[in-house]
Amino acid sequence: MLWTLALFPLLGATLLYLGGRHLSRGGLALAAALVLLVTLGLAGLAVTNDWQGGHAWSETLVLTLELSTAGSVFALTIPLIALPIVVYAGYHEVALRTGYRRGSRQGARLIGLLLGFVGAMQLLVLAGDFLTLLIAWELVGACSWALISHKWGQAEVPKEAVQAFLVTRFGDLGLYIAAAAVFAGTGGFGYADLAALDGDLLSMAVAGILLAAAAKSAQLPFSSWLFAAMAGPVPVSALLHSATMVAAGIYLLSRLQPVLSAVDWFAPLVIGLGLATALAGGVVGAFQDHAKKLLAASTSAQYGLMWVAVGAGFPGVALLHFVAHAFLKAGLFLAAGLAERQTGSYDLRDMRQGSRLPGIALATAVPSLALAGVIPLGAAWSKEQIAAAAGHQAAWLAVLVVLAGGLSALYATRFQLLAYGRPLRRDPTMLPQGPRPSRAESGALVFLAGVTLLLSLAWWPGAQTWLAEALPRQLPEGKPWELILSLALVVLGIAVGFILTRRRRRLSAWESWASTWFGLPAVIQGVAMGALLLGRALARFDDRVVDAGLRGTARFGQWLARRHAREGEAFAEGVPGMATRLSEWGGRWARQAQSGQTHHYYAGISLGLVVIFAILLIGALL
Amino acid sequence: MILTVAWIVPLLGAVALAAFPRWSEARARLWAAVMAALSLLALVVAWVGFDPAGPLFQHVDELQWVPSIGVAYRVGVDGIALAVATMSALLFVAAIVYPVDTLGQPRQYYAWLLFLQAVSLGVFLTLDLLLFYVFFDLTLVGMFFLIGRWGHGTPQVSALKFFLYTFAGSLLLLLAIIGLYLSIEPHSFDMRVLIERQPLAGTGLYAGLVFLALMLGFAIKTPLVPLHTWLPQAHVDAPGPASAILAGVLLKMGTYGMIRLPFAMMQETFAEYSLTIAIVALVAILYGALVALGQSNLKRRIAYTSINHMGYTVLGIAVAAAFFADNQAARQLALTGATVEMVAHGLITGALFLICGSFWQRTGDYELDHYGGLAHRAPLLTGFTVLAAFASLGMPGLAGFVAEFQVFAGTFAVYPWLAVLGVLGILITAALFLDMLRRLFFGRLPSHLGGFSELKRAEWGVLGVLSLGILVIGVAPQFLLTLIEASSALLVGVR
Repeated sequence: MLWTLALFPLLGATLLYLGGRHLSRGGLALAAALVLLVTLGLAGLAVTNDWQGGHAWSETLVLTLELSTAGSVFALTIPLIALPIVVYAGYHEVALRTGYRRGSRQGARLIGLLLGFVGAMQLLVLAGDFLTLLIAWELVGACSWALISHKWGQAEVPKEAVQAFLVTRFGDLGLYIAAAAVFAGTGGFGYADLAALDGDLLSMAVAGILLAAAAKSAQLPFSSWLFAAMAGPVPVSALLHSATMVAAGIYLLSRLQPVLSAVDWFAPLVIGLGLATALAGGVVGAFQDHAKKLLAASTSAQYGLMWVAVGAGFPGVALLHFVAHAFLKAGLFLAAGLAERQTGSYDLRDMRQGSRLPGIALATAVPSLALAGVIPLGAAWSKEQIAAAAGHQAAWLAVLVVLAGGLSALYATRFQLLAYGRPLRRDPTMLPQGPRPSRAESGALVFLAGVTLLLSLAWWPGAQTWLAEALPRQLPEGKPWELILSLALVVLGIAVGFILTRRRRRLSAWESWASTWFGLPAVIQGVAMGALLLGRALARFDDRVVDAGLRGTARFGQWLARRHAREGEAFAEGVPGMATRLSEWGGRWARQAQSGQTHHYYAGISLGLVVIFAILLIGALL
Repeated sequence: MILTVAWIVPLLGAVALAAFPRWSEARARLWAAVMAALSLLALVVAWVGFDPAGPLFQHVDELQWVPSIGVAYRVGVDGIALAVATMSALLFVAAIVYPVDTLGQPRQYYAWLLFLQAVSLGVFLTLDLLLFYVFFDLTLVGMFFLIGRWGHGTPQVSALKFFLYTFAGSLLLLLAIIGLYLSIEPHSFDMRVLIERQPLAGTGLYAGLVFLALMLGFAIKTPLVPLHTWLPQAHVDAPGPASAILAGVLLKMGTYGMIRLPFAMMQETFAEYSLTIAIVALVAILYGALVALGQSNLKRRIAYTSINHMGYTVLGIAVAAAFFADNQAARQLALTGATVEMVAHGLITGALFLICGSFWQRTGDYELDHYGGLAHRAPLLTGFTVLAAFASLGMPGLAGFVAEFQVFAGTFAVYPWLAVLGVLGILITAALFLDMLRRLFFGRLPSHLGGFSELKRAEWGVLGVLSLGILVIGVAPQFLLTLIEASSALLVGVR
């Protein structure tokens, strides 16, 4: 039964992909929303009734589905987040392309693929073994490639999609290794088998899992693929950053944390990577002027914080921050899309839509404040929890976490003020203006902002006890100084954000370098270019050198044949010819002896006798 | 009987095409398609009748022929042979149905295809070493004429290169077969006897030489780096369906031969050299993928991916042959994976080469740089190419993944570092296929492609069937895995 949770959206995706162009865009959005509502209902049923699923390919290869705590949280969150996003997509993207009442083929494809994305992600969080996980893991990647290439007509877009796919697939290789290591040690592929591993095999499995999770979660050094992913339309980014794809990494870590932490280098590595990404992502967000890229950097940073929580031994906290972050980040992307529709670009310096779209600006302020970590929003609570978790390991870790929190306050403020602040000049007509957002688009944003607001309940002690029971994982105890320091840094971050956005700034060389992930994209492109050049060089080598052996053999054969044709044949012809001439000459000589004169014969006989006697004499003497 | 039917029917069909000179193109094609389909049907019947719990070889027929030297007409299949043969028959039907310009000689074209089908199936179905050799060589003849007469570019040169190179491999094979034949008393060409008695076990240098000759012969056919250079040229100049057969069926004879002869008959010797073979396979995987990435010609690029994929197969076989490793489950997984790779690669690369044929029929051009933006003009063509490309790069849910996953998992348990390096191959493959898709279908449509037409019904029908096969194996491969595991279990000694 658990299969329905993944297969139903996949089925809906196929149907909408094939038949969606016959629907109006409203119909398309409605159909997709219905599919997601049913999926959500199924997820609810699955969680309450503890569904299972299995499908045996062979004795060794068995696909299993099971619900875990992390899986349940994800299975419920994913369709809930996707719901407003597909509605938004139906009105934001489909209408844009056609101008007709009917949805276009591209629109149907986009909606279908978004649903497929959801289905693949559901499969991923329900997987009970590494084979199923790997299947879903790669499917999510393929969906993201197809979604990012949505506007394939522009030459740059497919290139970016390929880059995003390849970077994440490099991480997928880690899962291949992990699955193989588990099989090598136990003969099975189940998560339970991972716990039975030890020694080198366990280390390799954990390393593989970490590689896969880091690439998907856009942690260092893979963070910049999210920039490439920005070539996709806004709803794709919204889904990809909140509940699918990027979320896969943190899901896997929090799902397997108890086993993974058996390796002694796991915790320091995860905390180190997470903190580095959180701080670096914060710096990137502080300087980035592309609305979606700013949000992308913030995604890396926020997932970095979740990594810290897992590394510190509190995967439940990571799950809570995931939920809070998912709703706010989806909302922010939708808001960025609405602002872009007004100005025609994602350049934050030209946006400032506050006076034109005050309602949208207000709705955006909620997720922005949540991202900044302002009390009493839910994301603020989960961030404080992460700081508390880090504090369990060491006080300086907590300091670094709250510093990263201060940076999020900074870039959240920048985003809000630049995208939806008041215009700098009094003359807003200078800027081009797009159509006002439809009710569906703003509704989707308001829904996400509303859920973000609702999550403020997390501050209520009653909700906290309920959470601690619902998640059978403990929550860390915070210390007062952490909270105070954190709040101070948030205030400071907001203040700096205000200052940075008071006027248009030209970025210094250092700042623009920092704003593009400190040159990481160039490194990745360098690696890709290196592989391509190596391929070309090998191709030439193959044509000129490897094949030369063959051509050489052929030429040698021809040369040999020609030599034979001339010298060999002459020799072969010459030997019998020589023999003929020799016998001819001998015959002539013998004929001369037959003269017919008797004295010649007598002389011959006597000569013969002398020779015979001589021989006999020699024989007797010897 | 059923196996005999499977390979005789296409042969009779070919003879009939040669005998009736007045048949029109449509009639010749229909006849050929029906004959090929009957052969496929016979193999499906054999599949249904195959007992996974039964002996290694089933459906065995034996007829004395030259008893004085131990030659007999012997046919029979294990699960591996049956899976590969059925895939081949399906691919032949697809190649025959796929529309192609027969240059005014339709009868001859379809007759040669049917002839090639008969002898190709013969290779997979026979249990007699001498017959195996005869069929093995006759496939060269069929392919030689298909490339030489219906190819483009410099078809005669390519056909000659293909023939001579692979024929040289066959000669080594012949020597090795004689070596095997002489090693057993009474002398016999019966594969079952050779597999059971393992006559060369413990004979040192003699076994080593026979093994070397066998592996060289099969490595040329497979092909393994550096014995592969006949392949790209033959592919580029061959007509699309012939390319599909060449990659989908003929290459399999190399790897199938490795499983049937050295792997099954010389276990001890193969185990000794398994690491060497595995390293060669790893080189083929990485080298094939990188060289494919460096190609700017559509067909050459796909041709080189075949080298990469056959590398996975050989890697799986080499791992399965590592009899000293006590992890039998892993070795069985590797062998099963290698066989699934053969079937999957046949379908996937078959589809890709047929697609190449469609490109050639429309533009006469394989240069990737001359294309772009076709997704809008030819959505069906785009869809099928995307599916085949993703299958080839090992996307789960499609056939290639089932194969490669098993090969990697099995390899890791025996040679961990080879597996770690080998997975890089799927990353490079992903890069080269996505790059190919981007250059063919995305971006701007160049002006000279304004008249590019969508797939015709016959084309998308065939591609649809192949894609369905790829999808079914990817999602529910039980039917295939049960068949193959029945034999792989016996061959690695689990059962």
